[in-house]
Amino acid sequence: MKKKLLAMVMAGAMVLGLAACGEAAPAPAAGDAAPAADAGAAETAAPSGGSGEGIRLVNGKIEVDAMLKEAAALYEEETGKHVEIESMGGGVNIQDTLKGYYQADNMPDIFVCGSDADFGNWDGMLVDMSGEKWASDTDAAYKNDFGTIGFPYTTEAIGLAYNADLLEKAGVDPKSITGPDAMKKAFETLDSKKDELGLTAVIGWCTEPKDLYWSTGSHSFANYLDSGLSRDDTTYSDMLADGGKIDETRFEHYAEMVGLFNQYSDPALLTSGTYDQQILGFASGKYAFVTQGSWIGATMTSDDKDAYAEAGNFKCGMAPYAFEDGIDTILTNSPSWWAVFDNDNKADSLAFLQWLSEDKGQEILVMKAGFISPFKSCTFVAEDPFAATISEYTAAGKTSSWHWLKNKAGMDQNALGQVYADYALGTIPDAKAFTSTVSQVLQQYYAE
Amino acid sequence: MKTNSTGSKMFSLILLAAGLIGLIGALAMDFSGSQNAVRGPMLIIGVVLFFVGLYFFPTLKYHRQIVYVIFLFPLLFSFAVTVIIPLLLGIGYSFTDWTGIKFTQVVGFANYIAMFKDPAFIWSIFITFIFVVMNMVLVNLFAFLLALLCTSGMKGVGFFRASYFLPNLIGGIVLGYIWQFVFNNVLIKITGGISWLVQTRTALMAIVIVYIWQYAGYIMLIYVTGLTQIPGDVLEAAKIDGANATQTLFEVKIPMLASTFTICTFLTLTSAFKQFDVNMALTNGTGSVPNFLGNYLSNGTQMLALNIYNTAIAKNNYALGQAKAVLFFIILACVSLVQVRISNKREVEL
Repeated sequence: MKKKLLAMVMAGAMVLGLAACGEAAPAPAAGDAAPAADAGAAETAAPSGGSGEGIRLVNGKIEVDAMLKEAAALYEEETGKHVEIESMGGGVNIQDTLKGYYQADNMPDIFVCGSDADFGNWDGMLVDMSGEKWASDTDAAYKNDFGTIGFPYTTEAIGLAYNADLLEKAGVDPKSITGPDAMKKAFETLDSKKDELGLTAVIGWCTEPKDLYWSTGSHSFANYLDSGLSRDDTTYSDMLADGGKIDETRFEHYAEMVGLFNQYSDPALLTSGTYDQQILGFASGKYAFVTQGSWIGATMTSDDKDAYAEAGNFKCGMAPYAFEDGIDTILTNSPSWWAVFDNDNKADSLAFLQWLSEDKGQEILVMKAGFISPFKSCTFVAEDPFAATISEYTAAGKTSSWHWLKNKAGMDQNALGQVYADYALGTIPDAKAFTSTVSQVLQQYYAE
Repeated sequence: MKTNSTGSKMFSLILLAAGLIGLIGALAMDFSGSQNAVRGPMLIIGVVLFFVGLYFFPTLKYHRQIVYVIFLFPLLFSFAVTVIIPLLLGIGYSFTDWTGIKFTQVVGFANYIAMFKDPAFIWSIFITFIFVVMNMVLVNLFAFLLALLCTSGMKGVGFFRASYFLPNLIGGIVLGYIWQFVFNNVLIKITGGISWLVQTRTALMAIVIVYIWQYAGYIMLIYVTGLTQIPGDVLEAAKIDGANATQTLFEVKIPMLASTFTICTFLTLTSAFKQFDVNMALTNGTGSVPNFLGNYLSNGTQMLALNIYNTAIAKNNYALGQAKAVLFFIILACVSLVQVRISNKREVEL
């Protein structure tokens, strides 16, 4: 009798197990990527193949999730078309998740792509948007052999961010930073007045390789590739693409600047600091410079709001990374794009993107999400600490492009990040050794 | 199946045919991309009809076998879907240029050749073996000592047992981040301003320490069970014969724990080989090796599992990652088989 009961229980458990599999199947992976609040909404998003259910957008900037949902709600109110926003972030590899969605036949209609490698994944599967109205209103769209396949939604800038109030107090004119000597002089002046200004260090520069490899290996390295060049000059990224070669003279000049950063950075954070610590330090006025781009404005005015207010909500600006005389540009670009997947819903997707590029969409994206509009017709200006400096450089035509987006996939994480850390640590002694190591590592990485 | 009448035979054949038609029809609809909602129920009804037909098939000779198959089917089916088919697909993909989305050509052994030409991968294999050996020894040593402490009959043993086990209840990722914070913000004050995590050698030590901290408590529990199961009369006999504590430990307790040692070495070996989460959360494979086979490596602490993951995800090379995973599977299977065989032999001898 007992044995029979046991067998019944086991068989029951098995049936339950199978039934549970059946239940879970219709909404693959919707739960683990979407925030809990989306649980109900995910149901509607699941049968992506069908039409009439609205469209789904996978967003890669988790910090603007709420604002995008607001825009989607307004759009639904106006047109009656539902748009589902699914935000990913915080260490999720979006392209990898999308590949999973593709295999599970659960592709979103619009999704984020950030580089050549990302777009390369979807060759021939994306809609060419060159005929859209917005396409003639911007220079920042992503184009390749398959046409205009990326919708730009914001502009970000990489430059040597500084605390304008502090520099003024120290008597350093940021406009004077036009070459390596001037930069060195500015650093020395600030260093000598550290106590007086309440500085912990002159510059917030972190080379921790595990979590900040992208800051060093992509964004800082980008300055070697593009600083001072015109927007369509691809000399150095072409060299890199050709077997990972670098121009040793230019790179050594750049390496000397990195050496200067290593010297004047906060030793407590140089090799093991985190992004949060770095930004908090800058927002609280402990560093005069910081080596992060314009996106830190959002962090300074949200997460670090209190520290920033305490430091007097100081004015910010950006100087060029002038590692050679005459470099006078900062690097601006759309950091990533939205691509439209070629399926039955594509007309709806295109209509939504067009709406976003117009007044009502732009008002939310710029004024609420803090985006810096890539559209010429947009009249809104974000209240971002860096918005003014970016438009100044853009108006003066002093911007370079982001050709680092063409770097081989994973180069920052798997090749360069560690070399920067070693240089900061001192295991790589000087700019010359740094240059030769980078050269070796890149050639190795491109040969793989 | 008392009668072998043609009527029941007909009945069963009709069921079988109907089941097969439903099954094939549903599958055909699915593969052709149809969105018809009928195909799900059709599939299930088809399968059920097929098996009912099979059950009522009028045969005395094979009836028992048929029943076995019917009962085994759900399990075999799930096993095939979740293990066997992915394994075979994976091996297949490793011979192509699969991108995670599609593949355009079969490349033969190119992925396998590339893999062995990659010094970073050789390094990963190398440190994984070192890590496994260190862990097998150290985890078992610590766990056994803790188990001895926890069975020594001192006060508050229950509390200590629970607290040693507690780290095991924290997931590896969380634990990795906690220890990253500890190494970078607390221990840095002792280690002279440079975190242990930034240099390969110390970072490897850090991973070993965290791993022992996490895993020793779990293995300890198994040893505790083993130690408490040693019959009291044997220990009493040893005592009467005048054996001291050390002699009891080495001559009585350890030999009697032979099977427990087998289980524990096996567990630590395979789990150390598969080490991934702590490795990823603590260092994510960073750390430099200035000169390994003439190359500068930047994946000093990247163990095999993480290397595979990184190849596929960060380097966007799914096919090569898959080839590495096949090798990983082969290594793991061999090591496990050898281990079990050796342990079994020793158990018999003791």
